[in-house]
Amino acid sequence: MNGAASIETRGLTKTFGTFTAVDAIDVSVKRGEIFGFLGANGAGKTTAIRMLCGLLTPSSGAGKVAGFDIMRQGADIRTRIGYMAQKFSLYPDLTLEQNMRLYGSLYGLPRRELRDRIDKMAEQVGLSDKLSRKTQELPLGWQQRLSLACANLHRPEILFLDEPTGSVDPLSRRRFWDMLHSLSQAGTTIFVTTHYMDEAEYCHRISLMASGRIAAEGSPAELKSRLDCASLQDVFLKVMQKEARLGNGQAGERK
Amino acid sequence: MKSFSPRRVVAMARKEFRHILRDGQTLAIILVLPVFMMFLYGYALNLDPSEIAVIVEDAEGSRESRFVISAIDASDMFAVVGTRNAAAHPEALFRGQDVRAVFRIPAGFTHSLRSAGSPARVQVLIDGADPNLATLIRNAAAPLVRGASLEILGISPPSLIAPLSVILYNPEQKSSLYFVPGLMAVILLLISALLTSVTLVREKESGTLEQLFITPLHPFEILTGKMLPYILLAAVDGVLVMAVGYAAFDLRVKGSLLFLSFASLIYIFAGLSLGLLISTVAKRQQHAMMLALGATLMPSVILSGFIFPIAGMPAFLQALSHIIPATWFLEIVRGVVLKGTGLAELGLQVLALSVEGFLLLGLALLKFRSKL
Repeated sequence: MNGAASIETRGLTKTFGTFTAVDAIDVSVKRGEIFGFLGANGAGKTTAIRMLCGLLTPSSGAGKVAGFDIMRQGADIRTRIGYMAQKFSLYPDLTLEQNMRLYGSLYGLPRRELRDRIDKMAEQVGLSDKLSRKTQELPLGWQQRLSLACANLHRPEILFLDEPTGSVDPLSRRRFWDMLHSLSQAGTTIFVTTHYMDEAEYCHRISLMASGRIAAEGSPAELKSRLDCASLQDVFLKVMQKEARLGNGQAGERK
Repeated sequence: MKSFSPRRVVAMARKEFRHILRDGQTLAIILVLPVFMMFLYGYALNLDPSEIAVIVEDAEGSRESRFVISAIDASDMFAVVGTRNAAAHPEALFRGQDVRAVFRIPAGFTHSLRSAGSPARVQVLIDGADPNLATLIRNAAAPLVRGASLEILGISPPSLIAPLSVILYNPEQKSSLYFVPGLMAVILLLISALLTSVTLVREKESGTLEQLFITPLHPFEILTGKMLPYILLAAVDGVLVMAVGYAAFDLRVKGSLLFLSFASLIYIFAGLSLGLLISTVAKRQQHAMMLALGATLMPSVILSGFIFPIAGMPAFLQALSHIIPATWFLEIVRGVVLKGTGLAELGLQVLALSVEGFLLLGLALLKFRSKL
């Protein structure tokens, strides 16, 4: 399915009671693309990503992820995606290797192949000599790389990363993004939420979310020229100010 | 949904075992707590009082009154810790010492005893602060004094209707034989409901449960994998309780061990379902802990008949006690261990436990599914 859309949604909506967290968004992400999902806190990024991963059932709309219907084929989708949550969510009391082995087994990787992949993946993220260390002993930046390794062990078609580099030092972030780029070059689609503008610059295409809707979309260069801004930071502020002026009364806060 | 995969479940279970082995607190709850509770309940909570300290006031000081005193002292129930001849203020005795009763033999006791018409009286003052103990003292004191009096007069007791009590199953009436099987009910529930609810809520809190939901694992596989180690550990605890009971309390299982194991597994299943239900309600580990303690330890100790007989409870509490799985299981364990009963007599109890287990599981799964 080279060139075909890896993620495609139409009017995807999620409401919680009377609050609309995600309001009819259309997203289209190509295979191998790094797609950045930007927005202020509470804009609906996490809700959107959770719907795409099958963790939340959309209230209405339609969508396909890796060629499967998000309304009905969640189980098929889950074998083909990897997910890294905002919060570090591996087991701190297990060693790095035990964590990786666990996730590999959960995705049904055969024992021997799992062994190989763990070695390869550990090398790729630079944790080869730390495999027998307890996860909680590692600094945050390394834990993040371990999360990436675990999410990627079964070689998913799409990686969903929800603010993967929060509270990580710039050097670690840089290194993390280098890894994402090599994954993307190998054909993995990457859907990432962030509110670091320097990270947004690394994305092939970005989408700006405000109050549950997509306010602007395009490549970083396109957006800058369209809105006549010098930096993505300015683009972000301009879009957000415009949204605020439109004064939609539903500026609730929800994650 | 994908079919059930043993390999994934085993991977989950292995991970859970690692958590347990790394976590000293959980290990202590599993291995030390049962033994500790057994000794606590088996020895400290002894409902067979003996050698209760009493004082005798002997205003007469005759051979006959001394005979009564020695009869009291010779009984298993009482130990005479002091005699005095003057009537001291008796309340001071209760307040100052560990004395639970005062026997008062009045002057002229022998005279009244030997003359017809005026009955001889021995007064027994009993400390009623502990009503159970007071009742036991009262019931034991009357026949003791009467027997001694008859012996002084040289009459053998008149043969009226004498109820002949024969106590079956626990002839020595040892409380420990009653408590130790009961502890099975408490400990199995503690492991299966408390530990599982806490471990599930911990994963919810740390976000790892969400990470598991993203994998191809079916929720049922996640649960089975997480519960498997606790089923095993609860079974280990069941064996542990029985072994300590055998070695330290001379407990001998009269009935079928196989049936007991089978009933225990059903009980563990009901406990796991309860734990699961708690984990769907609780948001934090401490919250789960409090809920689980409230739903397991307290009712199973207080309402199940573990310590207090259900027959003595008001009607609504009796009804409540039959909602608690521990009540049913207690009847099973005590029946099998002490009386040697089996499925034929305990069918209702086994059925009740199974129904409760499935009901709780159904409820929990409904809530679990809607959560994510």
